[in-house]
Amino acid sequence: MKTFAYFVLFLMLAFVVILLAALLGARGAWYFAWMVGTAMIVLISAASAALLDTQEEHEAASHVGADAGSRT
Amino acid sequence: MINGTVVELSRIQFAATALYHFLFVPLTLGLSFLLAAMETVYVTTGKPIYRQMTQFWGKLFMINFALGVATGLTMEFQFGTNWSFYSSFVGDIFGAPLAIEGLMAFFMESTFVGLMVFGWERLSKGQHLAVTWLVALGSNLSALWILIANSFMQDPQGAVFDPTTMRMQLSSFPRLVFSPDAQSKFVHTSIAGYVTAAIFVAGVSAFYLLRNRHTELAKRSFRMAALFGVMATIGVITLGDALGFVDAQAQPTKLAAMEGLWRSEAAPMPFNLIAFPDQAMQENHAAVQVPALLSLLVTHSLDGTVPGVDELEQQAALRIDNGIPAVEALQVLSKHPNDAAALAQFKLHEQDLGYGFLVQRYAPDLEKVTPQDIARAARDSIPPVAAVFWSFRLMVGFGLLMLAFFVLAVLYSLRNRVQEKAWFLKAALWMIPVPFLANEAGWLVAELGRQPWTVYGMLPTWMSASTHSVGYMAFSLTGFIAVYTAFIIVEMYLMVRAIRHGPEESGHEGGAAPRPRPRPVLAPRPLPAAPRETNLEG
Amino acid sequence: MGLYAMLQVIWWLLLGVLLIGLAVMVGMDMGVGAILRIVGRTDLERRVALNIIGPHWDGNQVWFILGGGAIFAAFPLIYATAFSGFYVVMLLLLWTMIVRPLGFEYRSKIASPAWRTVWDWSLFVSGAIPMIIFGAAIGNLFHGVPFHFQWNLTSVYTGSFLNLLNPFAILTGLLSLSLSVMMGALTVMNGADGDLYRRARTVAQAGAAAAFALFAIGGFWVRAIPGYSVVGGPGPGVPQTPLQQTVTLAPGAWQSNFGMHPVLWVLPLAGFVGMLGAFLAGRAGRSHLGWWLGAVAWAGVIATAGAALFPFMLPSSSDPSMSLTLWNSSSSQLTLSWMLAMAIIFVPLILWYTSWAFWIMRGKVSADHVARDEHAY
Repeated sequence: MKTFAYFVLFLMLAFVVILLAALLGARGAWYFAWMVGTAMIVLISAASAALLDTQEEHEAASHVGADAGSRT
Repeated sequence: MINGTVVELSRIQFAATALYHFLFVPLTLGLSFLLAAMETVYVTTGKPIYRQMTQFWGKLFMINFALGVATGLTMEFQFGTNWSFYSSFVGDIFGAPLAIEGLMAFFMESTFVGLMVFGWERLSKGQHLAVTWLVALGSNLSALWILIANSFMQDPQGAVFDPTTMRMQLSSFPRLVFSPDAQSKFVHTSIAGYVTAAIFVAGVSAFYLLRNRHTELAKRSFRMAALFGVMATIGVITLGDALGFVDAQAQPTKLAAMEGLWRSEAAPMPFNLIAFPDQAMQENHAAVQVPALLSLLVTHSLDGTVPGVDELEQQAALRIDNGIPAVEALQVLSKHPNDAAALAQFKLHEQDLGYGFLVQRYAPDLEKVTPQDIARAARDSIPPVAAVFWSFRLMVGFGLLMLAFFVLAVLYSLRNRVQEKAWFLKAALWMIPVPFLANEAGWLVAELGRQPWTVYGMLPTWMSASTHSVGYMAFSLTGFIAVYTAFIIVEMYLMVRAIRHGPEESGHEGGAAPRPRPRPVLAPRPLPAAPRETNLEG
Repeated sequence: MGLYAMLQVIWWLLLGVLLIGLAVMVGMDMGVGAILRIVGRTDLERRVALNIIGPHWDGNQVWFILGGGAIFAAFPLIYATAFSGFYVVMLLLLWTMIVRPLGFEYRSKIASPAWRTVWDWSLFVSGAIPMIIFGAAIGNLFHGVPFHFQWNLTSVYTGSFLNLLNPFAILTGLLSLSLSVMMGALTVMNGADGDLYRRARTVAQAGAAAAFALFAIGGFWVRAIPGYSVVGGPGPGVPQTPLQQTVTLAPGAWQSNFGMHPVLWVLPLAGFVGMLGAFLAGRAGRSHLGWWLGAVAWAGVIATAGAALFPFMLPSSSDPSMSLTLWNSSSSQLTLSWMLAMAIIFVPLILWYTSWAFWIMRGKVSADHVARDEHAY
């Protein structure tokens, strides 16, 4: 039930966002682009850091693997 | 009327204080969103190094922020103190965005910045993240409103002159807010702030990588800055193009100055890559041209044209002729607000009122205006070409340089090899001043290019200033130089000191000390889980 | 009353609210700065005092910025004329005020005693001077300011810097300083304990007592100052310039509003009651109550000045007919309407999150944690 309530709430929020975006998109396309673009820049930059963590873990793991391989 | 020296000194003072303020603002605009990005990673992954990152860059943010706030006070009041005629003439329109800036943005930014610094242990992770995002949003919203105000000066949309109150008045708030110049200028400037912050973070991180200190923090910061920066630089260049396209219609004199375009030419117009404009002779020396590029850049088509200085001066002379009766009618209306004949005369000529003001500089009594006066005023309608031309090229050149830098930074960083490229890290350090210079150059293009107007086509700069004495202006200018020089020395010293000192060791709690709580209902929220990877710092 | 006249009055009232907000919120922070060296004897005590307002001074300062912005937007002629006329004073205000953010942010970044002493003094100057100027500016309105307009409304100020430092203005400046010292001391009491608390309590009482005396003296003094009254002109709610009215000077005119509407006496009464209450509450150690009563005192003082001057906002002593009233200096109806809509949306929002921020950071600041904490001021 709680999930359903959240679902309905978020669905309604999505409609509000669509309405606002449609209005803003018509009159202020660049403002709209700024909002979407900023969110994108921030989130991609955040994701790239998480990606670095994964890369390092991966590298560390492959080093361990290589070391283990050379010993046998 | 107004003393010309006083106007010049007022301009110098405004330019100096605005350029100075604009050293700090872009970093705030961008770093606030980078902090939000870092903290977003912290909250989603729970890794303490991102908290440490947020706090370290947050500390540098605050050193910069304090000066942005301090010098912003000057800007809020300088319109009244030094540009009083401007303020009363357009305050009905120009004041509104400034007040809304306070209501909508400054309160948000400033209230939450306190919580951002002092609230680490009093807020839940989610709440603190929200606070950081609100600081970023608040600082950029304040940029939005001040740039809407600035755009009104560039392209006065949504306003009309009212002869009853003898000033310009708002006619449409949405037209003011959604003017094309306001839109592209806001996005251009805000994102230029992102680029500034990205270069700053990349440069400082490179410093640590070169010294092999705080490498885990520096690598992550560099990675985030590189991605943040490359996207932002692309955005800045796109919006710069959009702004040029808007200016081609709204401010033809600025565009002619930016491009060193002395004479109107047939399409497709060539672009002056390098040239040495000569204002007196109205020609370029040693011009290096790229065929057809100008038409493509400013009209987005091969057969578009924009007027050159010669054509613009002729237009200005005609408008001055037409504007003189408007000013004369206004002088009558000032004494006799109900004079129907004067009102009719005013209505007939009102669209060129500003040009009538322009010539009044040389002919205070418009009855005695001579053709020479009109020719001088028409020549005045062209901004200082060489300064605008070169500021523009510096800005664009720096922009392209930063794009090249970020593309390489992304390549190296995505392969996780940047820490091995010492030459590139050194280059990153040298890049730190570049965005600041580009920002200042951009301000010069926008504001010098608008001359001789404070409100384009409506209000000339020469009559906008307050009626101070030269002595007052010398006093205030000296005072500002003294105070601001002291400030920048202190700021740079603290900034360099904080960078050399580096981030706190991993696991340090930071933030304000927990205080005893009066009520148990809101017992302290659990602290973030103990660091899982305490040795990330090595 | 027409819509335009109504909007003009609403914005005049809103400006009053903003000035009260400025006086209370910025005043308390400036009060803390002004008494920093008196209530805090050791470096640690001073840091505790600074950290009490640390999370809030920046948000509070926006009342000052917004005050400037709102005058600009709603009464552009006042903004233009007053700020350029008071040039040297405005510069002093600015130069002292812009030191303050650095004082907070930079003072404790370096441990050297000399460094910190310099910033302590700059916090003192940037606390005391702006509040004196704020009060003196309002005091000057009662005398009028020497300015006139040219045909196109270029304003020309014909007085000197020293004109603005007349005895009555000095009195109102000191009144404003006393009130902010009182508020600053009560704020320190709210967040501190020990010696700091005890010294702040003494200072709070001194500030309240001084304010009480100065307000009373000012009340009698103002009777001797000839007031201004509008005898002809387009009147409220009519678009106009300041070149179209007739104004005369008349003894006792600053009391005429109180004579016509005796209910207005409640305003100075609120001022006195607030000061007295803040004094007693401070003495009794009820600093939170005292703070709120201090806010009432500020509201009473500013409202009293506004009610006496109404409809004048900036009287001209050199050409009284060019005096600025709310009728001839306000923005257009459209601007005032848009601004009102914005204020209706954002002011409640601001009050809500400001209170939330104070709620989050409530409680006493302990010296221990300030000493340990890297990020504290």
